[in-house]
Amino acid sequence: MRILVLTWRDLAHSAAGGAEVYTEQVLRRWVDAGHDVTLFAATVPGRPDEEVVDGYRVVRRGGRLTVYRAARRWYRENGIGEYDVVIDMVNTVPFKAHEWITDTPVIAFFHQTAEECWHYNASLPVAMLGRYVLEPQWIKSYRGRRVMVVSQSTADALARFGVHDTVILPEGFEPVPLPDVQKESAPTVVWMARLVPYKRPQDVVEAARIARTSIPDLQVWIMGGGPMLEELRKQAPEGVEVLGRVSEEEKVDRMARAHVHVATSAREGWGLVVSEAAALGTPTIAYNTPGLKDSTLAAQGQLCPPEPAALAAFLVESLPKLQQTRVEPLPYGGAHSWDEVAYEMEDAVIAFLDSEDRLMARPADASFRASEPLAVHDAQLAGAR
Amino acid sequence: MTTVSFVVPSYNSARTITSCVLSLRNQTYSDVEIVVVDNHSRDETVARAHAAGADMVITAGPERCAQRNRGARDSRGDIVVFIDSDMVMEPGLAAELVATFETRPELGALIIPERSFGEGFWTRCRVLEKSLYVGNESVEAARAFRREVFDAVGGWNENLTAAEDWDLDDRIRAHGVQVGRVDTFIWHDEGKLRLRGTFGKKRYYGQWIAAYLDAHDDGSRRIRRSGLLDKKGDLLRHPILTTGMVTLKSVEAAGIYAGMRDARRERSTALPVAGA
Repeated sequence: MRILVLTWRDLAHSAAGGAEVYTEQVLRRWVDAGHDVTLFAATVPGRPDEEVVDGYRVVRRGGRLTVYRAARRWYRENGIGEYDVVIDMVNTVPFKAHEWITDTPVIAFFHQTAEECWHYNASLPVAMLGRYVLEPQWIKSYRGRRVMVVSQSTADALARFGVHDTVILPEGFEPVPLPDVQKESAPTVVWMARLVPYKRPQDVVEAARIARTSIPDLQVWIMGGGPMLEELRKQAPEGVEVLGRVSEEEKVDRMARAHVHVATSAREGWGLVVSEAAALGTPTIAYNTPGLKDSTLAAQGQLCPPEPAALAAFLVESLPKLQQTRVEPLPYGGAHSWDEVAYEMEDAVIAFLDSEDRLMARPADASFRASEPLAVHDAQLAGAR
Repeated sequence: MTTVSFVVPSYNSARTITSCVLSLRNQTYSDVEIVVVDNHSRDETVARAHAAGADMVITAGPERCAQRNRGARDSRGDIVVFIDSDMVMEPGLAAELVATFETRPELGALIIPERSFGEGFWTRCRVLEKSLYVGNESVEAARAFRREVFDAVGGWNENLTAAEDWDLDDRIRAHGVQVGRVDTFIWHDEGKLRLRGTFGKKRYYGQWIAAYLDAHDDGSRRIRRSGLLDKKGDLLRHPILTTGMVTLKSVEAAGIYAGMRDARRERSTALPVAGA
């Protein structure tokens, strides 16, 4: 199958995150399975306008705001008649590819909606405009169309805007080898994310301050870089260490040594950090927010009201038991293998094409499920463990 | 070991049921039974209650008092606790309920203090309001009961759909049972409160408030909410929220009044009767 994926940034982008990892993991498996894949994204300084990455072709045009128009022009000049399906990856600003691609079926993919995150990322007038005018309009243009999502939360959010035809795909995760460490002797809490307001590290500091009145030897590790680093270091009470950006090795090590992981983000697509912690044998207490509620339920963790006082109470009441109980590492932390994600997404795309009655246009020899490289992947994964 | 049964009536509660049931499943006390009694929800409530770890999901109606009585009947705990589907319990709640009933044999029922949370201005006004009720006996009502006490007074009054918690609390006290309290909080998810929505809801409840007042001579002490002024310091610290709270309470009072008037107007025909 000839597949075009439209996304605003690719993995080479300096701010690439979970959504880009997801795309990349799926695409390289699709290529191995015999699909012909093109990824269209914005330009990245120092990277060529076209290159082949892990077997798929990357085309880069336009910048943060112009990538959407650039996609349109590029498709008109180079894309027509070249693809069996187009996947429109929506990250707040949509390509609305279904409005300008008429020669081939288009299916959309939403990792998450932005909504209240506008207020954390933009000035008030821009946030109001974005949250209440632009984003609802953007999302509503996908009404009546098939949309793929990674969590029930995102499906629920889209349903509020009248987009009901959603397919929930699994979140993927590649577990790292378990570090050979013991749990700390003092009750220990770990938090890991970028230090930006919508991840709410300030709530963890506040909860720690309250909880320490009941647990004086409470130890809290805040890991991650970001613009709030200095401010948090100044605020942090005794027992709270704001570690800043740490190496992958140190991150895994500390996550495994803590008794509990806390997650406080206002919104996620899935909240992969919860799965990471669970795979290391560290359960999570998370704010009951979109995305975190999905990963935390899958990881058998606890959901608490999004208030520092509630988080403090949950920690104080849970920690004594968590210190006594040995929690086994959860396979994939409640998420799924990337192979599984790649199958499921391919299935969703094929089911969509069937429903569009375009089945005949698709070459029958390029099914991922029936292909050889599957066994190769299983072997690679087994070797990695 | 003492079993604690949590009975949760639900109706189209998909938004909140997961965190509600999950917080019960994650109690530090291990002998906990979770019984959800769903009134024919048209959303994902039942599937999500199962996924979050409910022991039993029963379908029954027609109103929440009947659902609660049904859940109490089908549960096996020595302690029965009635939870709403938009509540989240702190992990130590069941342990504290058991410990309190064990050390204080004279107590037959326990009040659990509540805090609100949610999004938006009106919700923050509600959070302030609820914080003023903590420890106020005229507003708070017992939620946790020894089974024999609950059975002895005949359970919830199925003719009431609002003020039913005060009705049960009043009957328990009239039965000579002492009511105590615990310190662990229940967190009440108000979602995003809207003035128009709250008026309609209170108008609906108002008709049962009329029935409650008819059945309890001193019932009006519950409605007056003079307790709101007991903690004046809290109000002075939040002047904007206090103004908002007054507006919110006025709209609610107007709603309740409208509902009571609706009920009394229909007195000659079919009105809800408090047959306590």
